[in-house]
Amino acid sequence: MSNEGKKYNIFWKTFSSVRLTIVLLILIAIASVLGTFIPQREEAVDFARHLNPETLRVFQALGLFDMYHTAWFRILIGLLALNLVVCSIDRFPGVWRRFTAEPTPLRPRLFERVPQEQSLEITAPSESVVESVEGLISSRYKRVRKKVSDSSTYFYVDKGRYSHFGVYLVHLSVLIIIMGALLGSFYGFEAYVNIMEGDQVSSAMIRGKMVPVALGFSVRCDDFSVSFYDNGTPKEYRSDLTFLDNGKKLKSAVVRVNHPVKFRGIVFYQSSYGVVAGDNARIRLVRKASKPEVKYVETHSGQQIPLPGGEGSFVVSQIKDNFMNMGPAVLIKIKPKDGKLIRFWVFQNQERIRRQFPGIFDRFPTLNPSAFSPYTFFLDGIESRYYTGLQVSKDPGVPVVWAGFFLIIAGLFITFFTSHKRIWIRVLQREGKSEIAIAGMANKNPVGLEREIHELLEGIRASVEERKND
Amino acid sequence: MTNTTILSYITFVYFGAFFFYLCMMIIGKPVLGKAATAFCIIGFFGQAVGIGLRWYESYELGIGHAPFSNMYESLIFFSWTIILLYLIVEWRTKNKTLGVFVSPLAFLALAYASFSPSINSRIQPLVPALKSNWLIAHVITCFFGYAAFGISFGLSLMYLIKKKGGDNTQNPFLRLLPGTSILDDLNYQVVVIGFLMLTLGIITGSVWAHSAWGSYWSWDPKETWSLITWLVYALVLHSRMVRGWRGKRMAFLCIVGFSCVLFTYFGVNYLAGLHSYAKS
Repeated sequence: MSNEGKKYNIFWKTFSSVRLTIVLLILIAIASVLGTFIPQREEAVDFARHLNPETLRVFQALGLFDMYHTAWFRILIGLLALNLVVCSIDRFPGVWRRFTAEPTPLRPRLFERVPQEQSLEITAPSESVVESVEGLISSRYKRVRKKVSDSSTYFYVDKGRYSHFGVYLVHLSVLIIIMGALLGSFYGFEAYVNIMEGDQVSSAMIRGKMVPVALGFSVRCDDFSVSFYDNGTPKEYRSDLTFLDNGKKLKSAVVRVNHPVKFRGIVFYQSSYGVVAGDNARIRLVRKASKPEVKYVETHSGQQIPLPGGEGSFVVSQIKDNFMNMGPAVLIKIKPKDGKLIRFWVFQNQERIRRQFPGIFDRFPTLNPSAFSPYTFFLDGIESRYYTGLQVSKDPGVPVVWAGFFLIIAGLFITFFTSHKRIWIRVLQREGKSEIAIAGMANKNPVGLEREIHELLEGIRASVEERKND
Repeated sequence: MTNTTILSYITFVYFGAFFFYLCMMIIGKPVLGKAATAFCIIGFFGQAVGIGLRWYESYELGIGHAPFSNMYESLIFFSWTIILLYLIVEWRTKNKTLGVFVSPLAFLALAYASFSPSINSRIQPLVPALKSNWLIAHVITCFFGYAAFGISFGLSLMYLIKKKGGDNTQNPFLRLLPGTSILDDLNYQVVVIGFLMLTLGIITGSVWAHSAWGSYWSWDPKETWSLITWLVYALVLHSRMVRGWRGKRMAFLCIVGFSCVLFTYFGVNYLAGLHSYAKS
């Protein structure tokens, strides 16, 4: 044998062995177990902090924080796929031979051990019995072979030849699913994007990489809403989206959990939401005087508003939904007629903060709502805006994976619930009587074969009786 | 709520079934086996009523959904599927000895559901992720798979006991157990059913995850453990069909497989993941 041939042979021997399959399955199972105990991806950060530097280095080198996407894990799956392909090719010719082999009806030795309940004696001439048998089996089986030898007539019929391919279909489906997954990982992406109500975006962030990906169109969030059950658990998250291209509206759609929307091959899923401060605030000013004056102002940031007493003007320059962890607040800038600009924050929870931290406003002028006398500012409310958190995915492998799922189910049904039943029938002429005996073989499910033989025998008995009565 | 009361009573019915199966095995009187089966059948129908009532009550509360949405409901369904599959096997094989190994599983699952303080038995509304038609298909296929593997676990224990004890006709416990080759064949058939159901369960879960979480496979611990379980049973089937493993080795592998099932079901709840609603 040439050197080349030897190498080939070792390769083939290794990869066509089921022992390798078992080893690979065990390795993949062990690796998968590891990955469920070591926090992965986003969850890994906290865990990694508790490791000592050497362990951390080992973990990082092996990619244990994103184990299922490491090269070595993919190589394991690749080896399993290769093992599957080689095993299938290696065993296929044998199966094909069994599928195509021309059966020999003449197998007298099979009848040496046929049990009593698989034979039948009828007082009728053998010609008419043979005719009824032939008529019956031709209607029940597609493939019928016949052979006459001495005083006996032999038949061969079979059923379920395709069941030999069930296992191949299952294995092919596994390969198809792996291919679908590969297709998705090469040509697809998994990204996310947050869109404020009213805003539009044309790109999303790839998960785990912080790299933007262009969508090729724009998507606008027209509205986001969340509803709750009476006990406070969330009932539904809903985003009303509009898809646009160059400012032209192309499609409007509603995205809910479990009800994603697909546009130009990219699928949008409702994934999270949040609230941030909008651009509008409601301010109340109280001017201390012998007769206090109250003024309500609805404003947006940057708008110049004259003070009612004519001392100057103010603007709301910043709006925060949670400033210094003390709740909503706005930054007020006052421009007096004469003198320097004055800046201070006004909290919505003013009273509570005053009670919690007595004297805080006097100590810190930038937090004092009465920093510009004779005015005291109050924040009655800020506009809150929802943003919707969408998962944005493109996965051209999905239909392939679905096809694999469908085929694997079909394959498992064929493998486990069908069998190749081969049946031989002998009609023997003996002193004016005919003896019918049936022998059978099946690649699995012996009980099913017995039932088949029993039904066949009953059928033959009935059809012979019928012929006799005619 | 009426349904939880009924379901907690069924716990005692299944305990009764276990008790009579055990007496039958020790004393060897067939009438005890009949009593045990009667308890099983009463429990099975009583539990069906309880589950149906829970379904109905959820609609009365205005949050109607199939009772498959949390740990309590899954345990109830698990014990019910186990008893259903067991009764089918008993009817087909005309042998009641499996009952003594399987009825405790149903009893323990129900007892845990009904009496553990960490399990919330109230009917809760569905969170948005669970509002899907896939819920029913996914839960039913998975739990029939789990139940089949539970029965395979019982058969494997029977096999090992019978193998060790031999054909000791003095001991009714050993005498009543079916022959080892029957147990081995039956175990294989049950594993096939379980494997098919688990495959369907993983597939329906995957298709569902694709529409709920945006990815048909996220390596979430429960997903991963169901895959590990699937691989173990794939190993069982391959070692039997290709390498011709039978008997003891099969029984051991099936016991390993069922421990994976239990980890997929309970153990995973101690790991972080997306399947969090199945915890309590």
